[in-house]
Amino acid sequence: MKAKRRVVTASGAGAPVRRRPTVRKVKSAIVPAPPKPAVPKAPASVAARPQPAAPSPEPAERDAAPTSVDLTVDIGRGLVLPNPILVASGTFGYGVEYGDIVDVNRLGGICCKGTTLRPRIGNPTPRVTETPGGMLNSIGLQNPGVGAVIERYADTWAGWRVPVIVNVAGESVGDYVEVVRRLDGVPGIAGIELNISCPNIGRGGLQFAIDADAAASVTAAVRRATDLPLLVKLSPNVADVRPIARAIADAGADALTAVNTLSGIAVGPTRERPLLGNIYGGLSGPAIKPVALRIVYEVSQVVDVPVIAIGGVTELADVLDFLAVGAVAVQVGTAIFADPTLPVRLADELASVCRTRGLASYRPLIGTALPRRASAPSSKGVEYRP
Amino acid sequence: MQLVGAELLESREILPGQWLQAYHAPSLVTGSRAGQFVHVRTGDLSGLILRRPFSINTADGATGTITIHFRTVGRGTEWLTHLRPGDTIDMLGPLGRPFEVDAQSRHLLLIAGGLGMAGIRALADEAIRDGRQVTLLFGAASARDVYPTSLLPDEIEYVVATDDGSVGHRGFVTELVPEYEAWADQAFACGPEPMLRTLARLSVGRRGRLGVARLGRKRGGGRADPAGSPAARRKAFLQVSMEQRMGCAVGACLGCVVMTTSGTPQRVCREGPVFASEEIDWEGGWAR
Repeated sequence: MKAKRRVVTASGAGAPVRRRPTVRKVKSAIVPAPPKPAVPKAPASVAARPQPAAPSPEPAERDAAPTSVDLTVDIGRGLVLPNPILVASGTFGYGVEYGDIVDVNRLGGICCKGTTLRPRIGNPTPRVTETPGGMLNSIGLQNPGVGAVIERYADTWAGWRVPVIVNVAGESVGDYVEVVRRLDGVPGIAGIELNISCPNIGRGGLQFAIDADAAASVTAAVRRATDLPLLVKLSPNVADVRPIARAIADAGADALTAVNTLSGIAVGPTRERPLLGNIYGGLSGPAIKPVALRIVYEVSQVVDVPVIAIGGVTELADVLDFLAVGAVAVQVGTAIFADPTLPVRLADELASVCRTRGLASYRPLIGTALPRRASAPSSKGVEYRP
Repeated sequence: MQLVGAELLESREILPGQWLQAYHAPSLVTGSRAGQFVHVRTGDLSGLILRRPFSINTADGATGTITIHFRTVGRGTEWLTHLRPGDTIDMLGPLGRPFEVDAQSRHLLLIAGGLGMAGIRALADEAIRDGRQVTLLFGAASARDVYPTSLLPDEIEYVVATDDGSVGHRGFVTELVPEYEAWADQAFACGPEPMLRTLARLSVGRRGRLGVARLGRKRGGGRADPAGSPAARRKAFLQVSMEQRMGCAVGACLGCVVMTTSGTPQRVCREGPVFASEEIDWEGGWAR
């Protein structure tokens, strides 16, 4: 489903309304499961309680197991992902690079390469290196600028079923706002992911992610500039992510993405200098999964907006782990380089696990490892304040 | 571009620490051209997270066989050497853009430094098949690293330079180039970046020195082809195959760029690995 600008024009009047803005309304992270006549009481009753460790369905239940599993995720503001497996920014280009290898329309969403107001040539090489269980990158946000991105890719994206979420980076609040203004209303752009946590650029970027006030101000400014669904990507390079996550949610983000890469360095083979041209790089891959799990666990307990997990997903078990600590969806990143077809396969495997367990939706898998909440979560900050 | 399972047919150490492996991958061979590469998954995701790029060393359409030639430099290449015939690896390719040989070029000068042979070897086959004459200049540290003649086509002239003079010319392979400058219609190189930089410098002003500037050639008139286009590269005297640390190999991650004279970094995996030498900013102009 594509986001569409809420502007009524003569030409637009005939077009189907594909997105209904939902203001002043607390959205649940997950859309209610559509009624499924074929599915009797079993899934609903399972959904009501925390899931005990994968009970194998009784033969009777297995017969009644749903043939289609609802994998849709409502991120808010009309952005409904067809499934909870997205591809992470920077690892899937603009969605076109993998060509026939990956059927993009079977992905839950595509977060495109970080986009800035003006073109950026990025950092000197080497820009990537493998590390134990992961890799370091310091691309430095090389991109042709928002104008060129729209011109080159928006038409293609508009023809896809998969929602494309544009990752936006900048050096100042003004930059972010201007990029988002240009993206707002462009057909083919389903949402915005604010990259306030890129460790690879000198100014801006990371500094917004390490301070709650700065993070809130950039989020609020962008929120005022667009009606598009707004995701904000958190940095793990902070002492305590919770106040920052709360501030961002309060400032009007529709969802949080956790986490960006961890800052790190590698040393060159001759040990005369650090290996990467930029010295510093961002660590990603299975090596950071425990850190990402911890942050998703912490954040999902303090905010009411959906949390999309990212960090070291390489197999279905990782997806289930992230769901268990409260994520409603996951992004696959570095593992795509090794296995481009992994995200599509994970979505299939998730559906198949749900079928095996007799679930009509994957919702009961979410938050099973979180502590019980004493009271209903606060809804503070979820409302849209123009 | 395809993602296939490629079966190892043969694996042998042709030089100390250097391996030649043949894989059965018919769908990759079809349509692949000299200069392109494959991206190979080594091991599972628990350890090595990145694929490894290898030039297509040779591609045999009749048998559907491609070979790769590599040095064991780390755990990924080490893993490959432990494979046994019959094992299947995950191979993505063919990737990148190939060498562009002008239809009128009769004499091709190929220059390889060390493992750069892997990047240039297939072009010798292609050129001979197309009825061109090939001279291959090869540089290595010493005799023990010299690529065996038995693995090269008989039709080419093979000239070796070694740093220690243990075989062939004593010195760098680039020192052999001026001798062939007049003979060659086009030159193609793969090897360490200092070698390529020297070759790029040597090729500047060649037409002026030889007095062939535009005489007797109809091409060159009319409107210029855009830099980096196959047509523009086909007209370039020197084409180089560049190397860079690589992530995705399909153009998504922007990890493997080289700076170009246009001021925009270009992806080795997508716009390259072959570039016309005049496209490359040999001074590496990253300073803004």
